[in-house]
Amino acid sequence: MSATTLSRPAPKSPASRAARQFFSNKLAVLGVIIVVALMIFSFIGPLIYQTEQVSTNLLQADLKPGEDGHPLGTDGLGYDVLGRLMVAGRTSILVGLAAGVLATILGTLWGSVAGYLGGWVDATMMRIVDAGIAIPGIFLLLVISAIVRPSEWMMILIIAVVSWLVPARLTRAEALSLKSRDYVLAIKATGGSNSRAILRHIIPNTIGTVVVNATFQVADAILLIAYISFLGMGLQPPSTDWGAMLTDGISAVYSGAWWLIFPAGIAIVLIVSAFNFIGDGLRDMFDVRGRS
Amino acid sequence: MSTTTTAIRDSSGIRLFSWFLAKRLVQAAVVIAIVSVIVFLLLQALPGGPARGILGQQATEAQIAAFNHEQGFDLPLIQQYFNYVGQWLQGDLGRSFVMNTDVSSLIAQRLPKTLVLALAAVGGALLVAIPLGMAQALRRNKPFDYVMTGLNFIVYSTPSFFLGLLLIMFFSQFLGWLPASAPQGDTVAEILSQPKEMILPVLTSGLAGVATFSRYMRSSTIDNLHEDYVRTARAKGTPMNKVVSRHVLRNSLTPVVTMLGYYLPVMFGGALVVEQLFNYPGMGLLFWNAAQTSDFPVLLGCVLVISVATVIGSLLADVTQFILDPRARGGVK
Amino acid sequence: MSNTPAEPTNVPALKVENLVVDFKTKYGVVNAVRGVSFSVARGEVLAVVGESGSGKTITSLTAMSLLPSTAHTSGVVEVDGADVLNASEPVMDSKRGNVVSMVFQEPMTALNPSMKVGKQVAEALLNHRGLSKPEAMERAVALLDRVGIPDPAVKARNFPHQLSGGQRQRVVIAIALACNPTLIIADEPTTALDVTVQAEILELLRKLVKETDTALLLITHNMGVVADLSDRVVVMNAGLVVETGTTLQVLTAPAEPYTQALLAAVPTLPEAQWDAIIAEERAQAPEHPGSVEAAVAVDPVLDMRALCVDYTSGGRKLRAVNQADLLINRGEIVGLVGESGSGKSTLGRAPLGLVPVTGGEITLFGANLLKASNREIRKLRSRIGIIFQDPGGSLDPRMTVGDSIAEPLIMHGVNGRRPRRAARESRVNDLLEAVRLPANNANRYPHELSGGQRQRIGLARALALAPELLIADEPTSALDVSVQDEVLTLLLDLQKEHGFGCLFISHDLAVVHSVSQRVTVMQHGNVIETGLSAQVLQHPAESYTRHLVASIPSPDPVAQKQRREARTALLSSISTGS
Repeated sequence: MSATTLSRPAPKSPASRAARQFFSNKLAVLGVIIVVALMIFSFIGPLIYQTEQVSTNLLQADLKPGEDGHPLGTDGLGYDVLGRLMVAGRTSILVGLAAGVLATILGTLWGSVAGYLGGWVDATMMRIVDAGIAIPGIFLLLVISAIVRPSEWMMILIIAVVSWLVPARLTRAEALSLKSRDYVLAIKATGGSNSRAILRHIIPNTIGTVVVNATFQVADAILLIAYISFLGMGLQPPSTDWGAMLTDGISAVYSGAWWLIFPAGIAIVLIVSAFNFIGDGLRDMFDVRGRS
Repeated sequence: MSTTTTAIRDSSGIRLFSWFLAKRLVQAAVVIAIVSVIVFLLLQALPGGPARGILGQQATEAQIAAFNHEQGFDLPLIQQYFNYVGQWLQGDLGRSFVMNTDVSSLIAQRLPKTLVLALAAVGGALLVAIPLGMAQALRRNKPFDYVMTGLNFIVYSTPSFFLGLLLIMFFSQFLGWLPASAPQGDTVAEILSQPKEMILPVLTSGLAGVATFSRYMRSSTIDNLHEDYVRTARAKGTPMNKVVSRHVLRNSLTPVVTMLGYYLPVMFGGALVVEQLFNYPGMGLLFWNAAQTSDFPVLLGCVLVISVATVIGSLLADVTQFILDPRARGGVK
Repeated sequence: MSNTPAEPTNVPALKVENLVVDFKTKYGVVNAVRGVSFSVARGEVLAVVGESGSGKTITSLTAMSLLPSTAHTSGVVEVDGADVLNASEPVMDSKRGNVVSMVFQEPMTALNPSMKVGKQVAEALLNHRGLSKPEAMERAVALLDRVGIPDPAVKARNFPHQLSGGQRQRVVIAIALACNPTLIIADEPTTALDVTVQAEILELLRKLVKETDTALLLITHNMGVVADLSDRVVVMNAGLVVETGTTLQVLTAPAEPYTQALLAAVPTLPEAQWDAIIAEERAQAPEHPGSVEAAVAVDPVLDMRALCVDYTSGGRKLRAVNQADLLINRGEIVGLVGESGSGKSTLGRAPLGLVPVTGGEITLFGANLLKASNREIRKLRSRIGIIFQDPGGSLDPRMTVGDSIAEPLIMHGVNGRRPRRAARESRVNDLLEAVRLPANNANRYPHELSGGQRQRIGLARALALAPELLIADEPTSALDVSVQDEVLTLLLDLQKEHGFGCLFISHDLAVVHSVSQRVTVMQHGNVIETGLSAQVLQHPAESYTRHLVASIPSPDPVAQKQRREARTALLSSISTGS
């Protein structure tokens, strides 16, 4: 037996095996490519393609694509649409990433503590989550935005506050099942502490669920930003995001100014689909259960 | 339903069911209590407190002080909270200061219209999604499944107002088949008398439902196809198509039916956007208008009603699951 | 149910010739079956035995043509003279459940949870017999009666979750039997069941085979089941047939070294004096449970007295352990046996703080555990080592084996302080050596190891702090017999070397007999009998223990015949005695 043992290749961590699994999912790879491309477009693009995105220029308003050196035309306030798409993308991606990650961290901590401790602590913590889920996020968002007019930071915080509930539920379910695993029981049974069990065994083993969910959370957060803008509660101009651009373009439906609708709309669909594809690939890779 | 009665008929079943129901009712009551605290706290968080919210930004300090005293807003917070709860329990959600009407009667007028839209959308979505999800599961990892999964993700990733916009451009502007505006009217009957106007709003909210439900149905069917009972049925000589229709379909539907209860908040959220886009006179539009005018009594009244509806929805979902899925009952032991 | 053979043919019920089954996987082609030949005649019981990975289940699924689509087959498989390998799906649908049918291992999941069991039996008849629905239901009730389901007309309207595991397996057998098939394939039909239920199901299969001239292909890893039921045996290993012969010849005088080694690894219970036991049973028939011989406390490491454990579920208290006594002295191995739901695991977990103790006393290393402070409890528990059943679940999949073994050292320190990395590493290497694994295993992850290796790692981890008490909960139940034998030998060697007390929890009386000096038997949360292993397992004093011992099939066909008769005699004396 020792002969076969020694001839085996160097030990591979579960992570490297999983990476191969991820890259065999073509949609997931496509998702990574789209996200990277759109990030380059939004963050590096403005360095190469410089446009005025703060003050308006009504003389240059409503130009068609290609006119006067504007590849995608201009909008009603004279902003170059291509340049604006880059600026807006920066907001959508940054706010979406930050809010999604923040929500996931909050939810993971809440859920793993509730699930591992169980009993009354769990019951109380989870009823709070139930109450949060009972109030549809977008309604709460509108009420909060009616109270405080959001800056980008505020937006991140508000979205995280309405989005941490689903990851909390998922991690709690995971923690519940993990805590009856023999290796976690053994910690308790041989006099180990709760913090060792949670930090060394529960949280590392929920990582799959957490990472998969974080990806979906980012996708949902980017959608939420768009909805907030559509409902007129988004960032104040001249700041903008893809949702706000699309909303501004709605009136163009009847004037035929397609460049005010499609670029922003397609950008949102692309980035959100991409994150969903990645999430789906990660789910295969970690072999964890669905979104809800 | 005969299924239900026989399953629960034996005495231990009844005992188990009543224990489960009692526990779940207590949970729901606790959740509603927490929601009421959140709504109360939001009221406190309004700039200048509830008085500013209710009297408007133009009110003077003196007016506010008088109002606060009159309304009992100078009382301790706990006492104020219980005063609110007392009002809420009597169905009094306050008065809109923009429309000068009872919030509860405004909601009573608008909610049914939102429900009509939502029911049509969910019903239609289920009719498409259930066969679609099953078909994908049966052709798992074949081109059909890949294409439909990709499409599902794309629809799911499209903001519904963009989707609605595309539908308007295509069906209303390009083809000229359908009107781009929603039916108008005070009553549900009036709304229903304009079916052509209903099509685009229902289609817009329904498509997102198709994407969600079919993914759910797909994974639920895949899970069931891997169950041992499928092999047992095959070993009896039951052809695969009959195994699917006799055994797999029912067991796969249970989680989807259950999920409908949890879908309520998504449905209300979707209504908010779709009603705004098509100018459909439902509760979403009421809420949106209230947000534009900072009509806080309406905003909070809507939140309260929707939350209570959601809690009841998930309660019904759990009860349905308990009744439909014998495994859930077996697991309680 | 008369199965009038039209003509006495020599066509075997099942003929397998040169069967090869390959699976295409992502990681290459797996040769699951590599040229297997055998045949089963009508009215014959052929057992196919082998350890996991031997290809026995794959072979049986081929006869049903129920292999996954990734399988590639060649060779000849004929059921009742008709080709199976190249038959179309519609043709196979007309044969499955009709000419050839199957009984599966897992009765808990083999039935559709949301369909009444009567309907599930009737489905087979509707598929092949062209009956009306009421006729099929009537026949289904008759079949349920035939397989020994009490109150069949009522039970036919029940859902699977309302039946016990044994009853569900009877329903699965009824389905297999429905159309009087030429061949029934039973794949580990009793593996998921308790031994007393296993004995009942074996009895039923024996009766059914006798009544019809159906051939039975029995797939099993359990030599006792083979000895009990089969006429001939095929031994498989790694996709090949090792040995074929009559059951008596293969089990008592195996020709091949592989078979000899396999049989040598099977733990057996020595024969009890059944005549005397049956006589005693008849004499003192109406006895009361709980006549427990008090154990002698020499140097107790663990002493539990009148221990009660209650769970709450569905708003009601369930007593899992009732007034149980258990004593373990330093240096002795105590077996704790019982069927599922007997409370043996719960009792074993009580000193570990993993279950809600609601009454009684626990004295651990001389200290009153239930009155100790949290600090004291932690210290006391650090002197216990634990191994669990599931080798997959006992190690954290995200930790290397070395880190897992070193964890207790970090948690509790050695001589009051946390050892340095180098000291830890050398201790881990020592422990790996103690469980006879090469030191380079320390850098591996659990998924890279076999079940037996993982269980050795579990043992190394349990021994890290040189415990005075080892609690082993079904430590070998998930392992093949040959691996089980290795792990048990290792456990015994280490126990001799280190002299710890050990609580060995198992459902397998033969395993317990092979390792423990004393044994405690539990049923329904009560301790039924305690005493020296040899005494309790060969000359049990309590009715339940007698029944339990008689239910365990012996791998010796001659002994098994005696045991079977003894079981029947005991059962009849219970029914006449009460």
